[in-house]
Amino acid sequence: MPPAAVTARDAIGHADRRLMFEGLGLLLVVIALAVAFSLINPRFASATNLVNVLTQASYYIVLAIGMTFVISSAGIDLSVGSLLALVTVVGFDLIKGGLDPLVGVVVMFGLGGLIGCFTGTLIAYVKIPPFIATLGMMASLRGLALLHSAGNMLYGLPPSITWIGQGSIAGVPVPVIIALLFALFGAWLYNHTRFGLHVRALGGNREAARLAGVRVDLVEVAVYTMMGLVTALGGLIMIARIDSTQATIGTAMEIHVISAVIIGGTSLFGGRGTIVGTVLGAILLSMMTNALVIAGVDYFWQLVIMGAIVLLAVAISNVRERRIPTLAFLLRRGQAAGGRA
Amino acid sequence: MNHENAQAGAAGRLMTEIAGSPGETACGPVVSAVALGKSYGGLRALDAVSLDIFPGEILALVGDNGAGKSTFVKALAGAQPPDSGEIRIDGRPVALRTPRDAAAHRLGCLHQGLGLVDALNVVENVFLGRELRTNVLGLVPQLDHRRMRARTIELLERFGIALPRLNDPVLRLSGGQRQTVAISRLLLDEVRVVIMDEPMAALGVEEGRRVLELIKTMRSRGISVLVITHNMEHAFDLADRIAVMKNGRLVGVVPRAEATREKIVGMITFGTLQ
Repeated sequence: MPPAAVTARDAIGHADRRLMFEGLGLLLVVIALAVAFSLINPRFASATNLVNVLTQASYYIVLAIGMTFVISSAGIDLSVGSLLALVTVVGFDLIKGGLDPLVGVVVMFGLGGLIGCFTGTLIAYVKIPPFIATLGMMASLRGLALLHSAGNMLYGLPPSITWIGQGSIAGVPVPVIIALLFALFGAWLYNHTRFGLHVRALGGNREAARLAGVRVDLVEVAVYTMMGLVTALGGLIMIARIDSTQATIGTAMEIHVISAVIIGGTSLFGGRGTIVGTVLGAILLSMMTNALVIAGVDYFWQLVIMGAIVLLAVAISNVRERRIPTLAFLLRRGQAAGGRA
Repeated sequence: MNHENAQAGAAGRLMTEIAGSPGETACGPVVSAVALGKSYGGLRALDAVSLDIFPGEILALVGDNGAGKSTFVKALAGAQPPDSGEIRIDGRPVALRTPRDAAAHRLGCLHQGLGLVDALNVVENVFLGRELRTNVLGLVPQLDHRRMRARTIELLERFGIALPRLNDPVLRLSGGQRQTVAISRLLLDEVRVVIMDEPMAALGVEEGRRVLELIKTMRSRGISVLVITHNMEHAFDLADRIAVMKNGRLVGVVPRAEATREKIVGMITFGTLQ
C-alpha cells in the first residue's frame, strides 16, 4: 500500500489535527463565556466594553506570543513584568527628557533585546535553569527599575506615542491592530520558518535536535532575545495606552502571560503549541478580568481566581496529555470498557 | 597522534587485513578509523581502535556492555570526537567534531533512543536540521512544507516504507514506525554510510524484521551500514563481516562466511581471536 494514498489528503504544513480541534474548543469556550457574562451583566456585552476587552487583551496577546516561543522551547520567563517596568521607565524618561520619541522607542527595543539576550545566555551557556535564571532577573530588573525612577509615577507622553495606545484606524483601536498583525507574524514564525521549527525541536528533545544539527544554544538565546524585544513592544503599547508608567508596573504580569499560553494549549513541557490558542487564551483571560471588574470583585480576589485558573489549566493539560499515571490508567480502562460495550 | 597510538593503529589495521575484507577491496574503504582513542577520566573507553568500512557492506559490531561500541560510533558520527587517532573518508583524513561535519561527509548515524523529536511530525523530523525553504516574495525565507512533504513521500515509497499520517507527531507512532522515520532522515541525506546503534532494540518481532529488510534494501542501493547489535541472530542474518570489541579494544573482524557462533561468542567473552 503506497503511503501517498493514505496521506495525500492531509493538509500541508505543521498543523496537527488534535491541536486544531483544541483551538476550536477554546473558541467555543470563549464565546460561551462571553454569552454567560453578558447574561449575568448586560454591560459586559456593550460594544464599547468589548472593544475595551480587546484593547486590554492586546498587550497580553503580544507578550503571550513571545511566551509561546519560550514555553515551546521548554523554557519559562518570569521576568517579563520586571523587564517591562525597566524598559518603560527608561524609555519614558528619555522621551520626556526631550529625546526624539522614535529614538526613545528604538532604545526601549534595544534595551529589551539586550537584556533578553543576556537572560538567554545565562540559560543556554551558563546552564542556569530557565526558572531560576528568570527568577533572578525578575528581582534584579525590578530593582533596577525602582533605582531608576525611585518609585515616581511618570506621565505625559507626546501624542505621536500615545496614538499607538489610544488611536484608532477606521474605528479599530491601534493596539488591537498591532496585536492582530503581530499574531499573524507570530503564527508564521512559529509554523512556517526554520526558527519556529528549531524552537519546537529544542523544546521537544534538545539532544535529538542537537544531533540533527540544530544549533540549540543559539536558538535558545534567540528565543529569550525575542521575548525581550516582545516585552518592549508590549510595554510600549501599555504605556502609550495609559500614558503613564512607574517602576511597579507589570507586577504579577508574568502569571497572566504564562496562563494565556497554557490555556491556549501550549504544552508546558515544550515542543507543542499554537499561536491561535495563545491569542484566544489571552482574550479569555482579559474577558474574565473585565467581567470580574464589572461585577465589582476585589483586585485581591482577582489574583486568587487568576492563580486558580492557571493551576486548573495545567491540570487539564496534564489530563489531556495523560501525564497523570493513575488518571491515564482510569481513562484507558474506561475506553477499553467502552470498546467492549 | 603519538607514537604509541600509531603503532597500535598499524597493529589494528593489520588485524583487519588478516581477518579479511569483502570482495570489493579494490574500491578501498569508504571510512577508515585509524587508532581511535577516547578516555573518560581514568577509563579508557576506546583504545587504539582501527576499523575499515567498505562500500556497500553491512558490518556488524558486537561486544559486551561497556566494550566501547557506542563510544566508537559516536566518534564516527561526530557526536563525541575521539581524543586521539584519525578518521579517513575515501582515504583522506577528516575532522568530525559535530554531527554536522559527519553529515557533510554523507555519514549518517541512527542513535540509540532514536533521536527523534516526539512533538514534531514525520516530515519535520525527517527534515530537521536540513529544511527545504522557499522565499516569500523572493525575500523572506520560509519552510517549504509542500516540497518537504513530497520528498518524504517519494523517499518512503522508494524504500518501500509505509507510514500513516505524516502530519501527526511521531509520539503517536509505534516503535518500528519511529525507527523508519529515523532511518528516513538518513536516507534523505543520500548518505554513503549509515551507522546504527541497536536499531532493532525494543522492537517487536515483526517490526524488527521490517527494519532488517530495510537495512538490506539500503545495502542493495550501495549504502554501507555499520550496525551495533546485541542480537547474534541479527548479526549473522545481516552482516557481511562481524567486528568484535571488548574493553575498548577491537578484538578482530571476521567475514560472515568464516564466522561461527562459537567463534564470535569466544571473541566477545575472552577478547582473543581463538
